[in-house]
Amino acid sequence: MGMSLSKLTEKTNIWPWLLLAPLGIYMLIFFVVPLAEVAIMSFTEPKVSLANYQKVLTGALYQRVFLNTFMTAAFVTLCCLLVGYPLAYLMAHSKPRTAMLILLLVTMSFWTSFLVRTYSWMVLLGNNGPLIAFLQMMGVDKPPQLLFTRFSSTLAMVHILAPYMIMNIYTVMKKIDPALIRSAESLGARGWSLFRHVYLPLTAPGIANGSVLVFVICLGFYVTPVLLGSPREQMIAGLIGHQIEEFLAFGLGSAMAIILLVVTLIILTIYHRRFGLDKLWG
Amino acid sequence: MNTFMRWAGFVVVLFIAAPLVIVVPMSFSNASSLQFPPPGYWLGYYRAYFTSVDWLIPTWNSILIATATTILTMALVVPATFALVRHKFRGKGFADLMMLMPMAVPHIVMAVGYYSYFGDLGLVHSHLGVILAHTCLSVPIAFLVLSANLKGFDRNLERAAQSLGASPAKTFLHVTLPILRPGLVISSLFAFIQSFDETVVAIFISGRDAETLPRKMFDSIRQEADPVIAVISTLLFFVVLIGIAAPYFASALRSRAPKPSRPAGAH
Repeated sequence: MGMSLSKLTEKTNIWPWLLLAPLGIYMLIFFVVPLAEVAIMSFTEPKVSLANYQKVLTGALYQRVFLNTFMTAAFVTLCCLLVGYPLAYLMAHSKPRTAMLILLLVTMSFWTSFLVRTYSWMVLLGNNGPLIAFLQMMGVDKPPQLLFTRFSSTLAMVHILAPYMIMNIYTVMKKIDPALIRSAESLGARGWSLFRHVYLPLTAPGIANGSVLVFVICLGFYVTPVLLGSPREQMIAGLIGHQIEEFLAFGLGSAMAIILLVVTLIILTIYHRRFGLDKLWG
Repeated sequence: MNTFMRWAGFVVVLFIAAPLVIVVPMSFSNASSLQFPPPGYWLGYYRAYFTSVDWLIPTWNSILIATATTILTMALVVPATFALVRHKFRGKGFADLMMLMPMAVPHIVMAVGYYSYFGDLGLVHSHLGVILAHTCLSVPIAFLVLSANLKGFDRNLERAAQSLGASPAKTFLHVTLPILRPGLVISSLFAFIQSFDETVVAIFISGRDAETLPRKMFDSIRQEADPVIAVISTLLFFVVLIGIAAPYFASALRSRAPKPSRPAGAH
């Protein structure tokens, strides 16, 4: 793209450029420019200064939200791993029929809209829902408020993002050569030690892939934390939306958006250097 | 270790499945607020959905926007994919990466950008604005699917056609396109779903005039949790189920040996 026209014609191959041009121009107008506008607004709204960044990086409220977002994303990633690993294992080591049924279920979950799954958790965790009823049956007189807490939004996010983790780990597990496991066994590895020193390292690429994907999506998650979370414990995306919708504070909102974007891109760049970005969703 | 993993796996199956299926009984419930198990059953909320303009217009908007987005996305992505897969040129690595960028940027960031930018252009609260934004967001997934297909394409088939006297245009029309059809279909389908499900950007720019179904659902869940949402969720649940199960059954009928396929993308 940064190449001069004379060099292009030298090679007499302008075909790829002609084919790329419509999309390139489109992305410039409708992707790069709006993104640049966010960056510009973060420095110029309401007046040209660094005040927005100063406020966002030093204000107690914003620092708490940033920290909360990071901790939540890390915790959700860990939970997805703990939930996803056994399920991927079950899929990879079951009879084809069972494996296919579970795969069907995970695929279903993957393709079901975030909103639908968020709504389901409202039903499950609501005051008239089955979980509260179960607690009351077990003799808990005053069941705790489950909905609109950190607990409910975290649980729903784990459920929504788990398929990304499961798919990544499952793909790697399926490729493990059973001969490797057998030879480790013949050398005396058993149980926990076999898992710790042979199986787990072999699945590490899937874990890395899934974790990066879940962590990055969770950092910028808007819908579920806004609908299910506690209004007092917002995540960054929710706070950005709040600034824009309620206060029309485009400068502050943009500064937070740019920080979120930079952090996301740093993580993805590290990933890209090591594995290649196209592998992430593949 | 093995036994532990299997038991844990079965528990997780329940965790994944429960929220998916619970919307089905909920949609037949006659409770006016969230209550499970339902106190009684009726079809009232189905009638409410199919007769309410408040829900049908957003549904129609979403279908319209997703269809237009798919057409525009494919018109832009198909030629670009041919350029990126079949040609070598300087800056190709950069162009490849740019194709994936909209997937890497959190949607809330794009939402802020579109809200302000389309505000300047007078495109907020319009179908066109949502279509233009959704097309950007659909490019990566359409490109990933299509380029994977095109990379696996055996170019000897084209050479054979041309050596038999077919012109490049005829070769493209009668050889390349038919072989690529499954890839094109899946790629379009992913672009459609990406747009149909997209929530965050739609919340910020679709307004009341171009309100999409996800935006309407989001507002409704936030305000009153209208039981009609359970109806829509159930309908979407069955659309997805049919969409995923149909290929299994089709291949089972054809070969009696269904092959599991995995989704190639994310939204």
